[in-house]
Order: sequence, then structure tokens, then C-alpha cells
Amino acid sequence: MASGVTVIGRTTRVRGRLSGDGDLQVEGLVIGEIVTSGNVTIDAHGIVGANVRGRRLVVRGAVQGDLLGEEAVVLEDGARVVGDVRAPRVAIAHGALMRGLVQTGDDGSAQPPLIRAQPAAKSAAVPARVAAPAAKPNAAVAIRPAPVAKAASTVAGGAAGALRRPPPPVVPILKKTKGQVLKKKER
Amino acid sequence: MASTVIGAGIIIEGEIVTDEDVVVLGTVRGKVSAKEGVTIQQGATVEADVVGAGLVVAGTLTGNITAADRVDLQAGARVIGNVKAARVTIADGAQFKGNVDMDV
Repeated sequence: MASGVTVIGRTTRVRGRLSGDGDLQVEGLVIGEIVTSGNVTIDAHGIVGANVRGRRLVVRGAVQGDLLGEEAVVLEDGARVVGDVRAPRVAIAHGALMRGLVQTGDDGSAQPPLIRAQPAAKSAAVPARVAAPAAKPNAAVAIRPAPVAKAASTVAGGAAGALRRPPPPVVPILKKTKGQVLKKKER
Repeated sequence: MASTVIGAGIIIEGEIVTDEDVVVLGTVRGKVSAKEGVTIQQGATVEADVVGAGLVVAGTLTGNITAADRVDLQAGARVIGNVKAARVTIADGAQFKGNVDMDV
């Protein structure tokens, strides 16, 4: 507390890295990264698109990013969190919403999220985080794009094959549809 | 009563945009843009262009200042950069290097 409290007010938007000592209260918007040795409170109006590291994190607002508490993470009523939560003690109150991995205990688990935090924060923290949770829950979906890519190549291959055969007297649009028909037959 | 306070131990590297007052006691690198007043307290370090309605500097500021109303460089302030404002005061004991642009 010696270094005072930092307040990011309601109409304040911070884009970048926020680090240092002392407590932090976020009532506005922070996009980037938060690393402090003090406590972090994300107010009901607060929106954070960042990985947050602090001693004790209390969340009543929205967070997209990993929460890493040296001491504890408390998600209170109204909290909306998309990201992983790690701390020796984690509390999720009634009315708090979250999606992500929760890990309690202090078995050196403090490091992994921070290491992961570095590249994400450097590019664009928010889109990176949007992509990550989407990919996580459905591995099946992740497989799906591959056949699409394959199909695209078969379409190309089909078109190439069509060229070797006597060229059909059709306009290019119809040629394309024929390729798609071939693709369906192949399946 | 300022709504946004950057505490003494805090370092912000990036951009701060706000409609309210900002008080800086810590370190800010990047850009500060406020619709209201910006106060850079003694001990604070700001390496940024600062835009605000009124600016009070008692700490260290490297960057250009643009204020809609006024800029006050207090004793102990150390400012390197250009100042553009309707009114500018530089107190005895303030260090300053840069251009002053007032609407003459």
C-alpha cells in the first residue's frame, strides 16, 4: 500500500502493459497486460482484455485472459471471465460466469500462464484469446477444417483432370460446378 | 478528486485515453489523452505526448504537451518537449527545454 492505489477510471482506456507495485483498481478498460505485486480489483464496470497477474485478484467485471493470483483469485457476482484461472486459492461466487481452466494450489503452477502470456500480449491479446477458447472445447471442429482444405485441393485436382479430358463446352462457372459435383462423387 | 490515478509503483507502457482527470504518480510511457486535467506529480515520470484540458506538471515529463486550456509547470518540474496551450505558466525552479506555443 506504500505505493498507493492505482485507479483506472470508468471512462479511461489503457492499451498496453501495466506493471509494477501497488494495488490496482480497474473501473475502465485495459487491453494488454497487467502485472503487479499488489492486489488487483476489476470493478463491475471494468473490462480487461489482458492476462492479469497479481497477489490477490478480485473480479466483478469482465476479463478475457488468464488470471494468475500469487495468493488468491476471487470471482464475485457479476464476474465474466474467459480464460484460465490459477492461484493457491480460487473462489467462484454464485453469479460469476467463467469459461476456462481452473487450477488451485501452489505447486509451482504459477509460471505456465505467464510464459504463455508474453506472445499473446505482444500481438493482439484479445483476438488471440478469442481464438484459443474456441479451439479448446471441440477438437472435432478442429479436425473439420482439414477436409475442407482437402476438398479444395481435390476441386483443384478435379479441375486439372477435367482439363486433360476433352474440354467440356461450357462457361467457366459451369466448369466450377462440375468440379464440385466431382468432389461430391468422390466422397 | 481524480478518477484515474496511476500509482507511484506502477509503470504503464502504452496508451491512456480518458474523459476524466488523470493523476500520475508513477511512470507512463506512450501516450496520454484526457478530456479533463492531467496532473503529473512530483516523483512521477512521463515519457509521452500528453493531451488534456489543463496540465499541471511537478514531476518529470519528456514529450510534447497540448492543452486546450492551460499548462502549469511547477517548481521541481523537469520538462523536455514542446508546449502548446492557451496559457502557460512556468514556476521559478522548474526546468524546461522546448518551445512554447501560446495563441498570441
